[in-house]
Amino acid sequence: MLARTAERVYWLGRFLERTENTARLILVRHHAILDLPKEVQPGWDLLLQVLGAEAGFAALPGAANEKNIISYVFGERENPSSIISSLTSARENMRTTREIMPSETWERINSLYLSVARRSQKDLPRGMRHTVLNNIIQSCQQITGMLAGTMNQDAAYQFIRLGRNLERADMSTRIIDAASAGLMGKLEEISPYRNVLWISVLQSLSAYQMYRLNVQRNVSPEDVLGFLFQSRIFPRAVAHCLAEIEHSMKLLPDHRPALAVAEKVEKRLASTDCSALVDSALHDFIDDLQLQLVDVHSAIVDNWFSPGE
Amino acid sequence: MVQAKIKSPQPYSRLRPRSTIDWSQYHTGEFYDEIISKSGRARPATRSLVEFIRKQTIKHLVSRQQAADLAIQEMGVTFTVYSEGQNIDRSWPMDIIPRIIPLQEWRVLEQGLIQRLTALNMFIDDVYNKQQILKDKVVPREIITSSPDFLEQCVGATPRHGVWAHICGSDLVRDSDGTVFVLEDNLRVPSGVSYMLENRAISKRVLPQLFDRNSIQPVADYPSQLFDMLASLSPRAVKHPEIVVMTPGVFNSAYFEHSYLAQRMGAELVEGADMVVGSDDRVYMKTIRGLSQIDVIYRRINDDFLDPEVFRPESTLGTPGLFRAWRKGKVGLANAPGAGVADDKVVYTFVPAIIKYYLDQDPIIPNVPSYLCVNEKHRKYVLENLPSMVVKPANESGGYGMLIGPAASKKELAVFAGLIKKNPRNYMAQPALRLSTAPTLCGNSIEPRHLDLRPFILQGKNHYVTAGGLTRVALRKGSLVVNSSQGGGSKDTWIVDTEAG
Repeated sequence: MLARTAERVYWLGRFLERTENTARLILVRHHAILDLPKEVQPGWDLLLQVLGAEAGFAALPGAANEKNIISYVFGERENPSSIISSLTSARENMRTTREIMPSETWERINSLYLSVARRSQKDLPRGMRHTVLNNIIQSCQQITGMLAGTMNQDAAYQFIRLGRNLERADMSTRIIDAASAGLMGKLEEISPYRNVLWISVLQSLSAYQMYRLNVQRNVSPEDVLGFLFQSRIFPRAVAHCLAEIEHSMKLLPDHRPALAVAEKVEKRLASTDCSALVDSALHDFIDDLQLQLVDVHSAIVDNWFSPGE
Repeated sequence: MVQAKIKSPQPYSRLRPRSTIDWSQYHTGEFYDEIISKSGRARPATRSLVEFIRKQTIKHLVSRQQAADLAIQEMGVTFTVYSEGQNIDRSWPMDIIPRIIPLQEWRVLEQGLIQRLTALNMFIDDVYNKQQILKDKVVPREIITSSPDFLEQCVGATPRHGVWAHICGSDLVRDSDGTVFVLEDNLRVPSGVSYMLENRAISKRVLPQLFDRNSIQPVADYPSQLFDMLASLSPRAVKHPEIVVMTPGVFNSAYFEHSYLAQRMGAELVEGADMVVGSDDRVYMKTIRGLSQIDVIYRRINDDFLDPEVFRPESTLGTPGLFRAWRKGKVGLANAPGAGVADDKVVYTFVPAIIKYYLDQDPIIPNVPSYLCVNEKHRKYVLENLPSMVVKPANESGGYGMLIGPAASKKELAVFAGLIKKNPRNYMAQPALRLSTAPTLCGNSIEPRHLDLRPFILQGKNHYVTAGGLTRVALRKGSLVVNSSQGGGSKDTWIVDTEAG
């Protein structure tokens, strides 16, 4: 397999996952906000924080209100982390690797792109949100399913999985970081809602139901963080993503140097005591974890995408 | 000249409550129509198509056309138009009414195309080696030596099977009396075959009913035929030679096709930077396992950009050393560098003589009468008859820089006359043909539009001709320009066996 093609499908995996996660994120915030009393509602700017898009948004004219923020994270091409931007990149990477992708997956992503591109020229009012975002999530899931069901599970497939899981791990850390920021050592006034707010952290990762099934205790910060960081069975937990990454790496040629980096990250994560992650310790821990994920990315690039260099 | 008859004083449609297509309103005029004869009847091979359409409402046909357009958009069948410094990806325009050629006629054309390519390959091999045809003065030496497509660097090269042009796209046109001519040969990097294949896929999606009623030759085996032909060029005698498609990149107008063919052949799609030539003169590609040897390259990049060591030094699209690897027989290149010397529009005029010289046969498909502006007598004739001529630059493709006399303004005619006088070697002219037409869905009616046909011919160890080819149609009324870059569309092309059940 060509190194350049490998790199493109890796990014395809990342951008497809990013598209889906961003849609999930907006949808969950949308529902959470409808659920909570005004005084404890996290603002819409939380979305901008998670996506690292605050500076970009501030540079544009327009107030930081619901309509503008949603438009910015959904359909603004100037915003590199908007859904339309991620989807454009995913489609472009698929278009330039069409020769190895099952043709139905290309048609699916292309028609998803065409529908989102049309929609992105308009607002996304509350009444439309669920339908539009759910369609994006389902289409991404369809593509993932088509790949699993119709593509040779060869090197190309493993690179897509690498991209998907690394992106997912990264997005999980961002969501935990932003969603928990308002929860730590906060004022009296939020305490009656503390439980609901931790539930909404779980919901941001589509993890609440699975958490319940697995943990079967009341919602506590320690358990929530333990589940989201260290679970080996929940697909969006960071530890699970790392295990998937290692599994894919083992199926690729000459994998030792890259695998060593991923294993190191996984071990450190497993030995973390989540009950100690309070206040700023959590934020510092996440910062550090994100840097380690960047190391995994660099190891993949060095290992497979730069032959003879 | 036969005008279509008006059958009844009352419009036909008024007599029927649900107005279906009325063929009596279709006027073929002075042109040969591929589907409807001068007497207004369906030709033998087109009966079931004409009958099918007669039973449809225009609304239904329009909805089928919209379904086709949508399928094309979703399948992402695109081509790129270069204009005003911008590249625009456009959906491929396809008219849903197929163009039909009877199998019996096609068998003859097929033989003619094989004959032509065989002779052209003998010619190229001769020109770069013994030059017997020049010594025998059948083709004037200066025509070759003055051609920018004659590459000194290729002299003495001996590609496998003596074949230089492995993939050829020849453009066929039909004049008003029904005669089919070869308009030009494309021996460099002819494109369009993926659209031929996609047009068929779309037809089957939107008009499946029609496929039951006709015995239509399939086109889908082209990629495997292409693969086998490329494999026959491998310098290594290995069971599974490594074949790649080389593209200039995602911004090229035919990128869709490069990727499509790589996909259908299961070959890697490489760019110049993905390959290196080793000190052993072999070509390698950079893979996730390190370097891996390549046997045959189907290159979709022009000679100029192939290898900066030999051709344009500033080009970054190619791979340094590629030409050397080919000269030393370490890699197969299709088409071979230098093959373009035989699709020069001036050399074109000698093709009948070339066929006679190498094969001792008369050409099965005639050339369009042509005038070389470099010849004084011819030039005088061309300049005197400019309004009824088509003038082409010798070395341009895609319909750029040509003059269509009957459609040109006085000013354009004057400009071209000047160009011809200034650089006569660069121009040749042909009488403007009255290209045949076929019924085409134009808005809410069916009207005749002019078309041509580009079949694709393969030559490696063996020959192969596509069943039909890519029909290109000028969508503007009266227009003769079929190039997609200039507002042309396409049609699915059916070779129909009228003798099958």
